[in-house]
Amino acid sequence: MPSILVLDLGGCEGCIASIMNSYPKLEKKYDLYISYLGNLNLDREFDFAIVSGPVSLVSSEKIDLLKKVRENSKILVAYGSCASVGGIFLYSKGQNCRFASIGKVVDIDYSIPGCPPASRTIINFLNCIEKKGGRFLELFKALTKYQKLSGFDLIDDVVLTGLCVGCGACTLSCPTEALQLVDGVPDLIVEKCIRCGTCIVRCPKFTQNILR
Amino acid sequence: MFHDVNLENPIGSVEGIYVAKPKKVENAGVVTSILLYMLENKKVDGVVTARKVKGILGKILLIKTRDELLNTVGNCWSVVPYTMKLKDMLTSSNLNKIAFVGLPCQAQFLRHMKTFPLVESDFANKIYVIISLFCMGTFITDGFVKLIREYKISPEDVKNIDIDKDYLVIIHSDGEIKVPVDIVLNHIQHGCLLCPDYTGVFADISAGRAITKKGTLLITRSKLGDNIIKKASEEGYIEVESASEDEITKLKEKALEKLKRAMDYTAKLL
Repeated sequence: MPSILVLDLGGCEGCIASIMNSYPKLEKKYDLYISYLGNLNLDREFDFAIVSGPVSLVSSEKIDLLKKVRENSKILVAYGSCASVGGIFLYSKGQNCRFASIGKVVDIDYSIPGCPPASRTIINFLNCIEKKGGRFLELFKALTKYQKLSGFDLIDDVVLTGLCVGCGACTLSCPTEALQLVDGVPDLIVEKCIRCGTCIVRCPKFTQNILR
Repeated sequence: MFHDVNLENPIGSVEGIYVAKPKKVENAGVVTSILLYMLENKKVDGVVTARKVKGILGKILLIKTRDELLNTVGNCWSVVPYTMKLKDMLTSSNLNKIAFVGLPCQAQFLRHMKTFPLVESDFANKIYVIISLFCMGTFITDGFVKLIREYKISPEDVKNIDIDKDYLVIIHSDGEIKVPVDIVLNHIQHGCLLCPDYTGVFADISAGRAITKKGTLLITRSKLGDNIIKKASEEGYIEVESASEDEITKLKEKALEKLKRAMDYTAKLL
């Protein structure tokens, strides 16, 4: 069976909890290595490494850990908003609080934002990999080019450039209701944006553009 | 290139292509008849679709009964956003299986939401079937209003909008006017010009007007979509026949037109 390492680098562990929800389904097809099961072993090779949480840029220990995981895994997935697009940690202040999405430190193969991604996401994602394709797999690949994505980018890249057609994808996707439609186009309540990136990843115009 | 649409196959993955006519209900289109079949046979608890409110403006509605549905026939020719209100309606109600009718862009994000729910607060588990209407682009409301005012028509008087070869036919209270498509194209939203998807490749069922004969063209893209069409036909809601080769070729030409437009436009922008 293919092996999967699930590792949290220092987030809220919501992503791991969401993966644990799918554990009964996952264990039938994959060997899971995850701290919750007490079998975390970083000294072996993995078919998949699913990493959540941001990487602390001031911690050489975490950076080394991440690099080791990269070396030991065939496919590295940045799972959840913090690992893939930085998430709420990008707001952190203080000289010892420098966080980034893991793509800043290592090469990643797939980037799946979400805060946290619902448990079905990991199963559907692994199914797509198994089938070697499927809708949206290309999108998660293309997202690895981005180290930050948020409501701010949605406003900058889609709304202010005039690409928005007012379909409502972003407002319906935002978990904190930071986006609302004003005169048919989204407007961001900046204090509410947790930088999860769900809005822009769902935006048809943004995805059509980056998949070209 | 965009995943499901490319120059070789501009209409995406296909299970079946049919030409259908409504049968059971008078004055209802094929899509309405299919929705009615699903509502009356308890395949879905509710339908989310757009309804024309006034002139060219529309509004999204959550529909639970036959009567409500039959009041929503007709097109509205503007993107009607799925708003927060809809989310509230869906999450607070005890509806669990909902059919969505929208445009290709909306089908895309709903499919994304259904396959990869990125947050637990998504109502993705309520989406049962996605129906997309063919779309060549939507209008910038203000610009389009100005255009029809130039023809001395008030936007409130617009009854229906149709396409007849190279003309957009605007049917209003006192008659109809024909506007050349070239002029109309200037009033299509910037974002729509970049969109490569004419038929709605992410939907379970795509629907639009048939080209070679009278009727509605249906493309099914999943087993689920195909079963719905077959059952709706067995139950006598619609009359279905397989689309002819000629019809499919013409459909592909049309889809290719939008794809090429998107490619040209992207090339100009970048």
